[in-house]
Amino acid sequence: MIGALIYLQSQSLKNRLRARLRRLKKPKYLAGAVVGAAYFYFFFFRHFFAGRRPTTNVTPETLLLFELVGALALFVMVMSAWIFPHERAALAFSEAEIAFLFPAPVTRKALIHFKLLRSQLAILFTTLLLTLVTRRFGGGAGWIRALGWWLILSTLNLHTLAASFARTRLLERGISNWRRRAVLLSAATALVVAASLWVRHNVPAPRASDFESLEMMKYYFRHTLESGPASYVLYPFRLVVRPYLATDGWTFLVAAGPVLALMLFHYWWVMKSDVAFEEASVDYSRKLAEKIAVLRAGGGWHSPARRVKKKRPPFGLRPTGLAPIAFLWKNLISAGQAFTLRTWLLLAFVAVCIGGPMGASRRTPEWLLPTVGIVTAILAGYSLLLGPAILRQDLRQDLVNADVLKMYPLRGWQIVLGELLAPTAILTGAQWCLLLLAATTFSQTPGGGLIPLASRLSIGVGAAIIAPTLNLISLIIPNASVLLFPSWVQTGRERGGGIEVMGQRLIFMLGSVLIFAFALVPAAALFALVLFAMKIFISITAAVPLAAAFAAMVMAAEAAFAVWWMGRLFERFDLSAESLS
Amino acid sequence: MIEVEGLTKLYDEFPAVSELSFVVHPGEVTGLVGPNGAGKTTTLRCLSGIIPATRGTIRIAGADLGTNPLAAKRRLAFFSDEPRLFDYLTVWQHLVFAARIYQVPGYEETGRRLLEELEMADKVDLLPGELSRGMKQKLAIACGLLHTPKVIFFDEPLTGLDPVGIRRMKNSILKRAHDGAAIIISSHLLHLLEEVCSHVLILKTGRKVIDGTMGDILRKFSEQPGDANLEEVFFRATGETGGAT
Repeated sequence: MIGALIYLQSQSLKNRLRARLRRLKKPKYLAGAVVGAAYFYFFFFRHFFAGRRPTTNVTPETLLLFELVGALALFVMVMSAWIFPHERAALAFSEAEIAFLFPAPVTRKALIHFKLLRSQLAILFTTLLLTLVTRRFGGGAGWIRALGWWLILSTLNLHTLAASFARTRLLERGISNWRRRAVLLSAATALVVAASLWVRHNVPAPRASDFESLEMMKYYFRHTLESGPASYVLYPFRLVVRPYLATDGWTFLVAAGPVLALMLFHYWWVMKSDVAFEEASVDYSRKLAEKIAVLRAGGGWHSPARRVKKKRPPFGLRPTGLAPIAFLWKNLISAGQAFTLRTWLLLAFVAVCIGGPMGASRRTPEWLLPTVGIVTAILAGYSLLLGPAILRQDLRQDLVNADVLKMYPLRGWQIVLGELLAPTAILTGAQWCLLLLAATTFSQTPGGGLIPLASRLSIGVGAAIIAPTLNLISLIIPNASVLLFPSWVQTGRERGGGIEVMGQRLIFMLGSVLIFAFALVPAAALFALVLFAMKIFISITAAVPLAAAFAAMVMAAEAAFAVWWMGRLFERFDLSAESLS
Repeated sequence: MIEVEGLTKLYDEFPAVSELSFVVHPGEVTGLVGPNGAGKTTTLRCLSGIIPATRGTIRIAGADLGTNPLAAKRRLAFFSDEPRLFDYLTVWQHLVFAARIYQVPGYEETGRRLLEELEMADKVDLLPGELSRGMKQKLAIACGLLHTPKVIFFDEPLTGLDPVGIRRMKNSILKRAHDGAAIIISSHLLHLLEEVCSHVLILKTGRKVIDGTMGDILRKFSEQPGDANLEEVFFRATGETGGAT
């Protein structure tokens, strides 16, 4: 039976690789693969193939410290596997695997073997990555690092599985999750207390001078973990970490023996655990499928496939009028009730009520006003970078419904513009509130000098004028990439992966920054030109908003052209052809 | 009226639909029939403007889909086998949104009537996640019919409906046809098509095998008068055996 499961696994892997290779026929995938491969080569492989690299700063004390730190980290991970999870043991199967394997005459043992075999694929991949990264920075023999990581990850994997079986067994025996957690946390607390007491009695108390240098701190840390109760608890974890830190082949072989024995023990434990996992596995696979659906719909991997709640519309939508407004209305509903005009007005009112008196007061601490002002101004600027990644109530969210959108009797640009409006409005609202707070509070420089209200208002108004078009441009870039390279982004048809997708993301990241910077050049140039020209005729405080208005007009023209072009792209967009590739 | 001339859709070099021509007049219901992979869904997606045709002309109620897509789209509705809805809009909000997109003044009355006809009047505040598959299908239909389309495409419209729903759907389709809409239905449920359709168009590997009125086609493929139903016609026309030896 296991032969069939190995066949399933090997063929799936082979077909996946073959599909990836076939995709390289398309230039955009090939370019991504080349960039991804170049990145890997220059960052990792170049050093890997450069022969054995000496381990940097390897003194016996440092190695011992690494071993203790690694053991402590493993201990925390193992304790987490026992304390935090609340669900019953579930082996991760896909829905297809459940449909095929669970009703089939496959033994429980074979299913566990299949799961272990499949987890080895992920472990081998992670081993490769970790070896490349750690060897890049830590040096040492490649094969020792690789085998060391494999032993650590495989043992941890087996233990996590065994722990899930044990937790389920406890639940079956009527020991609730909270009772189990209480016992384990008590034991962990007792251990910490015992270790602390032991250290207090046996290790000289640290003096202030012990914290003066890193070496002294390392020494104290080492001393604490290497002796007393902590040393007994950490001993098995140190055994697991030790092969990875071996400095030569013989030391590695000697260190690997106990870990292999530990692995065999865990394997025996897993196979002997007579715990039903089928029902929980079915539930797990369903949740996994829901998560993938959320991911494909534009949500993050960690955003739960939660039930959508009914939300109040931000405003009443009349049946006639500009069609893009319908998309704004729809996407604001999607964004949630926090993003209504009332909320923004309330926030602006609060910003004025708090910032106004603060900024006008001369009794506030000297550091407070500049700090609040600078932090809010930085937040406003930072939102420009983070906003488009967080707010995805646009084409990225709706591309799964591309079929429906394409049926609408609207021009492509109307749909694109409509889709861009909601995140632009939300980002602009947030930035305006932050600017209001910054303008009202930032009445003093860090040096204590006063900043006149007129200057603050001038810069604030200027920034507020620029904000909407700046946001629009920053949102146009990821949305245009969705239309240009739907397979590079989650479009609802396929989840990206592989070296070529990594390369594509690198290209995309770099491209986004370049395009954004390039788009700002004409606006910045005009801003500077108008500012210097107007300074001759009017005050600088009046010139800043005026120059900002000209810059905003340039950016609006750029955005209008981009929206028109994206509309053309959308009209020609053929998701079915893309998915066939 | 639906007028299709030389419709061709290529995926790279692969022809999903080849040189397809036919006409559906107002009041006619044409059943689009063919084995899996015959190009039925691709045809419907091209006709509704979801995917661009590689070659050919499509006219929807007089409007050329290629040169005047907006006018054509205002006159059509397409219902896919899998209803596509917005997870975060309620039933009524879907209608409000559709009304604005299709610019339907006074949509409230039509919307309420449609929801009553589809037995969804008590579900206006529910989200798609709270609806059964059949209800979702009905909501998609209500949204699509709000602007009173002259041309309607159904792709497997009876999937997920219970017997009562199937009967209502059949009656609804016939009512729209009676009101003058030109309708195309793609389905594998041949006995149901036989009940609803006035015309049949059979596709195989993207090419038209035959089209005509239901009566003519049944007669043409009868070995004895009255011995052929649409299922028999399907097997004889496409050369499929259906497992028969």
